[in-house]
Amino acid sequence: MSGEALIQAASAIGAGLAMIAGIGAGIGQGFAAGKGAEAVGKQPEAQGVIVRTMLLGAAVAETTGIYGLVIALILLFANPFV
Amino acid sequence: MGEISNLVMFLLEWLNQFSAETLVISATVIGAGLTMIAGIGPGIGQGFAAGKGAEAVGKNAENSNNITLVMLLGAAVAETSGIFSLVVALILLYSNPLIGLEAAGFVLAASALGAGLAMIAGIGPGIGQGYAAGKGAERVGSRPEYQGLIVRVMLLGQAVGQTTGIYALVVALILLFANPFLG
Repeated sequence: MSGEALIQAASAIGAGLAMIAGIGAGIGQGFAAGKGAEAVGKQPEAQGVIVRTMLLGAAVAETTGIYGLVIALILLFANPFV
Repeated sequence: MGEISNLVMFLLEWLNQFSAETLVISATVIGAGLTMIAGIGPGIGQGFAAGKGAEAVGKNAENSNNITLVMLLGAAVAETSGIFSLVVALILLYSNPLIGLEAAGFVLAASALGAGLAMIAGIGPGIGQGYAAGKGAERVGSRPEYQGLIVRVMLLGQAVGQTTGIYALVVALILLFANPFLG
């Protein structure tokens, strides 16, 4: 087995590992969705500002998931070692 | 450190005796198992939703239909990560595109492993969306007249929470069907 093949193999595993970061955003944004639904149920007239705040916070929570995706895509399509 | 690298070299040379097909099949079955770990998420999330649903029905038995509807709707969304993982596992077992390809066995095997690892991300949306389902059911129990609004916000938030699960699915499918390391 060539060294290049081993590096490619390790890159595939690394790309998979990087995506595990998505667990966090999934849990956190789901929590935000639940609290948003709860708040709207209590104060429906404030729906607009509640949803805006929820989406703003969810966007911040998304960032580390995006970082994981970027690293995975780098390993797959722009690998500096291959 | 020397002992560890000797062990790794020994393991790699031992693996090298097998055909590429054997290696990729071995990794495929491990990858199928890794994929299903994502089932942890919907299990936790839907369980939370069930608990909140039961609690809400206890408080507002006359609204039990609304509560049950919202609980099941939210739980169905939470289920999707588990379905994605099941589909990837079934693809790996019955329709694996990596078997029979002309490429280094290790690269094929690692791609199957990577696809399985990526799908573990499904844990997150499963837990989060289930939490949202539970809170939605809870509020609908208190205020059934706001059901439409509550459900809309719940689904909007759940859709956002799904995104990282989709990213993981895309990376897994890239590793299986559009692998840049092959050919």
